[in-house]
Amino acid sequence: MSALHERRGTAAPAIDGVRLAVLANRFEAIARSMMNTLVRTGRSGVLNTAQDFSCAILTNADELLAVAESQPVHVLTGDLMTRAMANLHRDLRPGDAFLHNSPYHGNTHAADHTILVPVFDEHGAHRFTVLAKAHQADCGNAQPTTYAAEARDVYEEGALIFPCVRVQRDYTDLDDVIRMCEMRLRVPGQWRGDYLALLGSARVGERRLAELGAEAGWETLAEYARAWFDYSEKRMAAAIRALPSGRVSGRSVHDPFPGVPDGIPISVIVDVDGDAGRIEVDLRDNPDSVPCGLNLTEATASAAAIMGVFNSLHAEVPTNSGAFRRVKVHVREGCVAGVPRHPACCSVATTNVADRVANAVHQAIASLGEGYGMAESGLTQPPAWGVISGVDPRTAEPFVNQIMLGSVTCGGASPSADGWTMLAGVGDAGMLWRDSVELDELRFPLLIRAQRLLADTEGAGRMRGAPAAYAEFGPTDGELEVMYASDGSINAPRGVRGGRSGGRAAAQRRGPAGDLQDLPNCARVVLAPGETIVSVCCSGGGYGDPLERDPELVADDVMERYITAERAESVYGVLLDARGRPDANRTRERRARLSAAGRGSEPSRRTPDGMSSAGKDEG
Amino acid sequence: MRLAIDTGGTFTDLVIEDVDRRRLYKRSTTPANPLEGVLNVLDVAAADRDCTTAELLGDTDLLIYATTRAINAVITETAARTALLTTEGHSEILVFREGGRSGPFNHRRFYPPPYVPRHLTWEVPERIRHDGSVLRPLDEAAVRQIIDDLAAEQVEAVAVCLLWSIANAAHELRIGELLSEHLPDVPFTLSHQLNPTIREYRRASAAAIDASLKPTMAAHLAELESTLRAAGLASPVVMVTSSGGLMQAASVAAAPIHAIMSGPAMGPIAGRHHAATEAEADSAIITDAGGTSYDVSLVRRGRIPRTRETWLGPRFTGHMTGFPSVDVRSIGAGGGSIAWVDDGGMLHVGPDSAGAQPGPACYGRGGERPTVTDAALVLGYLDPRTFLAGAMALDTVAAERSIERFVAAPLSLDLHHAAAAVLEVTTEQMVHAIEELTVNQGIDPHGAVLVGGGGAAGLNSVAVGRRLGSPRVLFPATGAALSAAGALVSDLVGEFATTLPTTTADFAYGDANRVLADLRGRGEEFLARVAESHSGSPEIEYFAEARYQHQVWELELPLRAAAFEGPGDVDALVADFHELHKEVFEIDDPASAVELLAWRARANYRLDAQPNGTAGSRSNGAAPRMRSAYFETAGLIEVPVHALGSLPAAECLSGPAIIDAGLMTIVLPPQAIGRTTHDGGVLVDPWGPTS
Repeated sequence: MSALHERRGTAAPAIDGVRLAVLANRFEAIARSMMNTLVRTGRSGVLNTAQDFSCAILTNADELLAVAESQPVHVLTGDLMTRAMANLHRDLRPGDAFLHNSPYHGNTHAADHTILVPVFDEHGAHRFTVLAKAHQADCGNAQPTTYAAEARDVYEEGALIFPCVRVQRDYTDLDDVIRMCEMRLRVPGQWRGDYLALLGSARVGERRLAELGAEAGWETLAEYARAWFDYSEKRMAAAIRALPSGRVSGRSVHDPFPGVPDGIPISVIVDVDGDAGRIEVDLRDNPDSVPCGLNLTEATASAAAIMGVFNSLHAEVPTNSGAFRRVKVHVREGCVAGVPRHPACCSVATTNVADRVANAVHQAIASLGEGYGMAESGLTQPPAWGVISGVDPRTAEPFVNQIMLGSVTCGGASPSADGWTMLAGVGDAGMLWRDSVELDELRFPLLIRAQRLLADTEGAGRMRGAPAAYAEFGPTDGELEVMYASDGSINAPRGVRGGRSGGRAAAQRRGPAGDLQDLPNCARVVLAPGETIVSVCCSGGGYGDPLERDPELVADDVMERYITAERAESVYGVLLDARGRPDANRTRERRARLSAAGRGSEPSRRTPDGMSSAGKDEG
Repeated sequence: MRLAIDTGGTFTDLVIEDVDRRRLYKRSTTPANPLEGVLNVLDVAAADRDCTTAELLGDTDLLIYATTRAINAVITETAARTALLTTEGHSEILVFREGGRSGPFNHRRFYPPPYVPRHLTWEVPERIRHDGSVLRPLDEAAVRQIIDDLAAEQVEAVAVCLLWSIANAAHELRIGELLSEHLPDVPFTLSHQLNPTIREYRRASAAAIDASLKPTMAAHLAELESTLRAAGLASPVVMVTSSGGLMQAASVAAAPIHAIMSGPAMGPIAGRHHAATEAEADSAIITDAGGTSYDVSLVRRGRIPRTRETWLGPRFTGHMTGFPSVDVRSIGAGGGSIAWVDDGGMLHVGPDSAGAQPGPACYGRGGERPTVTDAALVLGYLDPRTFLAGAMALDTVAAERSIERFVAAPLSLDLHHAAAAVLEVTTEQMVHAIEELTVNQGIDPHGAVLVGGGGAAGLNSVAVGRRLGSPRVLFPATGAALSAAGALVSDLVGEFATTLPTTTADFAYGDANRVLADLRGRGEEFLARVAESHSGSPEIEYFAEARYQHQVWELELPLRAAAFEGPGDVDALVADFHELHKEVFEIDDPASAVELLAWRARANYRLDAQPNGTAGSRSNGAAPRMRSAYFETAGLIEVPVHALGSLPAAECLSGPAIIDAGLMTIVLPPQAIGRTTHDGGVLVDPWGPTS
């Protein structure tokens, strides 16, 4: 019975490096099987196309053990959710399942419905908890969006809040909650399908954990968990020891939004103790909760800080509670990036301010030296990721869903690579899949006119940010409502260590005559037939001096039309020969001159309008 | 007599099927000129049969060819300089892909470039809507200008993928006409013809990959055919395709994406055959363990599983073909995978591989780091003198030194524990790969036969079977050349598809019946055509791509008939779908309507003369040799080494033992019981009768 059982009964450690590898694979496989079930059976586009969901396994001591390929912002602080389950329910038993979406009890935000299932051994002892979380197409908000940025409190937000309520006992549905949801969630059939998918996923995880426990022995699994955490902690400590010690700060300012006319300045203090292999991130010196939906939850504030640290290390470290022992995040109650007090609204807690927190950490760690940290990334969510709703004229049926088009890029540069083109938010880290234009047009009365990357928009640097992207879409016939809350149209994503800032986000309405009119950065827009909405996302910031960028990479970017030859010359100091390859001598001269003059010049950016003149005539 | 040739990355395999027996030959692949390797292996076979190569080929009724050439061209970026023409405003289809990423905190990678670079992508002024109506007519003057640009850029192939060409193909067809007219020497692919599926990325990706392979595959297949003709072949040449069927070589040259999984796609075909004939099972897990990769596929109730999500290269950073293919997954685990211990004290095997150069430490070609092959040698599983039927001598001391230094010392284990641990972690990775697939496909591994194919399969397939709870592990006699053996038992296949969305809530009887009648017509035409040059029996299967309302991932639902007479037939389809969904995902939703997206016909032409011969010869019955081998539960012990060729059918072998099958070494751990099959293979009960 191989490695799962006692190997040789000698002085060998209880869990050796071999069994560690074997069991790590087993737990990972279980979390993945949960993910597979969710994607294939989910009904809403955010779930089955974009895969906006996550699965995790936690111990009975509320430690995060396995996360598969989940979105970091969803699961890194899953411990808060199992803690709530234990605190609120003293009578856990096999067959229980809980629905949890409360931002005040450890969940991320109200739109993330989470199913928690405690897993028991054959003697009835609680051993593990499986968690399946999915962003919903609708969560009962007053407005048809799952990101109620303008709501002043949870009452205006309107979401149905379930603070870890029991939805199954003895493997049987308690229908009360389902009936409530069916009366308050838009397109209830779609929600119910997603709910079934979540429940199915958690039950698959439970069954497979039970099989593993029976096969390997529950005590062995508990020992494994301890060893896995110790191992992960060791790896994390080693990664942190590679950093210089220091107390550094970072700052990133969320744009002004309704309810926060001056924006939200986010500051972090990062204390790196390289000798001890520990990092502390202090978020307490930040504003109090704000009267809009941008407040973070405890889950997302902590997760954002941890993400910022992991993104900045550039090392392979397993993400679990063992590694997190080396990262202390300080938060305070009543803070915009801390622990919200009911009834503060946290509807947008997974994206906007959370990304600012992570970015402030990136910047702080980058200031420690070359090779650390990364540029600002992932300021979202422009209209191309808006929530659309209306009534489909083809069927007279209502619809609501978040669309996730390809044209949201946003990746910031790291010390060793250009920004990931399809990163989008820091918190989803590019894990989300993107909508097919055809599938969206089939499912919704939508016409997607264009999606293009925009040349010369990247945050320049030795490593450059991802280019910005343009999208334009509108209704086919009938009205289309679009809600979005787009950060980064004022405070662009910043570069680090000499890297330039990325480009700003924008939103516009195009009238039937082709005229463009600016839209606010956070809005509910009703488009009439013939009108379209234009969405421009942020690009990513650069890392390091653009004059140090490998001229070959610059030439590639020109050939592939990510940048123009003029920009190659003026910003990167690279001149190309007739074949489009770098001219070494002229480049050296140009760079020396630019360097002496104090860096390359940053020409003012063109108005981001990706439509060619031919495109404007379309339709 | 039929011949199957499989040109892989390392070896070129040949299986000859005669009236009463199958024979297996292996020679090194010659990458510079792959046809040389083909002729070499034919020469070896001819010599073995005491005839000339010309006589061998002259006696051949059918020659089946499989090659990794197409996939290699994609992975090594040596395919043609290809352009993409797409709808104006949507030129980033291949850049955006479908999103998704692994390793959320890994910012050390560059974003993967699109299959067709942006500077070879053109936007065509036109737009069709989802219902097929024309929002903006095709601007033919603009197309002509683009064609001038293509010529100026010296493009060698063109892919055309317009939005909603599956709803109205007029614009793609017209561009095709203009390309034929103005660029007659440049091959092109129209997406709606090649891969009529919704989701523009999958259509564009398939079209781009297909177009890019046209110049090279057309030349290769023409050369193959002329070379074999010159060498004496009179029979037709057919090729193994990604869909697990056979296609005439000329048809593959016209749509070479069919050749992408040529080879691996035969794994499940072979496995299904062997599981049925040697283990009387209709569900099987088929594995093919080579030097650098481990291919896994499943057969459920005799059905070969299919997918559109075939990745060339790593998931998310490679290219998805989006094209229907047999579902074969590959992980980087094999005899060459390197074992190492990280700074936290955990043992890993792979993903780095020693490959053929420098190869495992025991090859003595300068490789220092230990591989799975080294571990197997240290454990006594491999014989240093008879590896690859004696073609290569192995250096046991080098293997021991390497395992000691890189695994045993850092883990504080003795040599044999360390080597066993390497195999154990490998086993676990293989189990993980299999479970990924079984979960996705809804098959219970506890009930399925595990088929161990590939040269490295014998080392740990019984251990894999134990972990999976498989009741039986089958090693076919031709397992070392699993794909070539599969080619001999496959059908000529033509696949046809049409997109027609409808729902059982409001079923479009007229449209659906029209589509099915059209598919039937195309299938029958195909079968009539192949019947002109082959003898066999025809059959057409029909499928719908179906899902619940609001879902977006379809399941392939077999249809009971090619027409819907009335509501009763639709009700039956709904019932079949509920059953299928529950089988695959453990839940169904009886309240939900079923949406039907696309309709497919698969025309199978089952060739006459299926093999009934046995492999290998039964000879002397000499007593087994003995060798020291290490087993975790028994330690280092003397075990018998049986030569498979010398054993009669139904011979029972008890573990611990080693079976030398020539090109494969099968390890029977203690308790396992093996029995030789009537077909010359070995069927193993992993735990023996007591379990």
